Amino acid sequence: MLLPWEYGVRNLARRPLRTALTLVALATVVMLVFVVVGFIRGLEQSLSVSGDESVVLVYSVNSEENIENSSIPAQTPSLLSASLNSAVKRFGVMHVSPELYLGTRVKTEQGAGGLGLVRGVTLSAPLVRRSVKLVEGTWPGDGQVIIGRLVAAKIGGSDEAVMVGKQIQFEGKEWEISGRFAAEGAAYESEIWCKLDDFQSTTMRQDLSLVAMLLSPGSSAAEVQLFCKERNDLELRAIQETDYYASLQQHYKPVRLLAWFVVLLVSAAGVFAGLNMMYGAVAGRNREIATLQAIGYRRRAILVSLIQEGVLLASAGSLLSGTIALTMLNGVAVRFTMGAFTLRIDSVAILIGCGVGLLLGVVGALPPALKALRMEVATSLKAV
Amino acid sequence: MKMCFNLTLIGLSFLVVGCESSEVPSDPGQGYAATESEYLVDSEPADAMPVGEARESIADGEDVTLVGLIGGSSDPFVDGLAAFTIVDPKVRYCAADEGCTTPWDYCCTQDQVKDNIATVKVVDEAGQPVVHGARELLGVKELSTVVVKGKAQRDDQGNLTVSANQVFVRPGK
Repeated sequence: MLLPWEYGVRNLARRPLRTALTLVALATVVMLVFVVVGFIRGLEQSLSVSGDESVVLVYSVNSEENIENSSIPAQTPSLLSASLNSAVKRFGVMHVSPELYLGTRVKTEQGAGGLGLVRGVTLSAPLVRRSVKLVEGTWPGDGQVIIGRLVAAKIGGSDEAVMVGKQIQFEGKEWEISGRFAAEGAAYESEIWCKLDDFQSTTMRQDLSLVAMLLSPGSSAAEVQLFCKERNDLELRAIQETDYYASLQQHYKPVRLLAWFVVLLVSAAGVFAGLNMMYGAVAGRNREIATLQAIGYRRRAILVSLIQEGVLLASAGSLLSGTIALTMLNGVAVRFTMGAFTLRIDSVAILIGCGVGLLLGVVGALPPALKALRMEVATSLKAV
Repeated sequence: MKMCFNLTLIGLSFLVVGCESSEVPSDPGQGYAATESEYLVDSEPADAMPVGEARESIADGEDVTLVGLIGGSSDPFVDGLAAFTIVDPKVRYCAADEGCTTPWDYCCTQDQVKDNIATVKVVDEAGQPVVHGARELLGVKELSTVVVKGKAQRDDQGNLTVSANQVFVRPGK
């Protein structure tokens, strides 16, 4: 026969301070798990949605994986358009986007600032970068920029400092923010976009960093790659955009592994903290446990009741942390080397966080309960 | 206790079933026997010319037999097409004891590569590049020495491309 459900619930209320402290400790551990898993999921999400399978990037073979270091001749887009039939052409407009991309120091009107990512683009950029949507303001004119929704996090400024109509400064020039854009969580959201020719004259560069091409149905990135191999003199390389971001995923693999290791460490620390608390909680209840045995409850029934208490507390802690994580952590922007991304408390994060919480409840309660049940009933009844 | 044991057994059986390797190849290129390729030949074509020499003497449209090592960049293969770049065997690449993880990019001798590199594309009867990765089609890898026979394509910039219909892979390389 099992102990009544209410017995375990009432036991929690009998020692409110201890219960509250245990709850806070469990909730803190689960919250730490949410933060780390949210970080990993946000980073993975940002890189996985950044690529478009139909887009191929053409840049300098000498820059290896880093497009910021790439420099290719300004006539590359027209050369590609003339030599290949791979790009989409609609209403006479080739979906080929020449871009100048670099990292530079960006300052806001308040003086705050940091390293920002600036992309000089033409009107064909939104045709190729199909996830980009102007959510406020207008497309930039001369001396104007549009900014991604995570730029404030990337440069370390406030959202107010990068509102439409405000000024920012980079490359020795003041730029007016004419609009804001979103890109479904892609890496562009931490970038500042301005007119290509404006950016070229400001940086005194006539070259480009890359050309992005939207491939027409039936075309493949291999055709562009073959063209780049055949035209050795141009020193170009082509890569499918999804492959480019997949290579970045590989680049950040050690970071992700480290983060998962932190999840493991935090969970282990939580289990040990839970064990410590539960040992204390159960040790003070030796007489009660012995009494339950004396009046006929089997050890298994008492063990289930003690685990029930632990799981109840852990579930409450997980729910509390889950609510805080979903309402306050989800979507918080994090600055990172490649730009910025948002913490992502998704179903996987919830599953892992709550799973760790429940594990704490079960694993934390088991050893002390087993220890208490192994004691002689007569000895335990005399315990103070 | 017996119930716990039974549950453990069931759990373990699921684990074993779940961990068994799939028999369905994940990559369509996997399992392609290079020896079956119609483009591979058993004997080495005669009078193979090093890439550097060919770049100086071969005209557009001429038949040519080239010898070279697959390389010239960190990724000399074209994904999904039977095409790759080869470099003249006379150009040195990093030795194994130099600690270079990608010696086929000729990072130490890049200035010599530009005059000693050619692109090879294996073409079908219609003259179109074969839509299959060269690694699987020909059983080659970076720094494999290949002898290719086909038609040369030249452009005004001096680039050399061979539309090859025969490929011989020198053994042991």
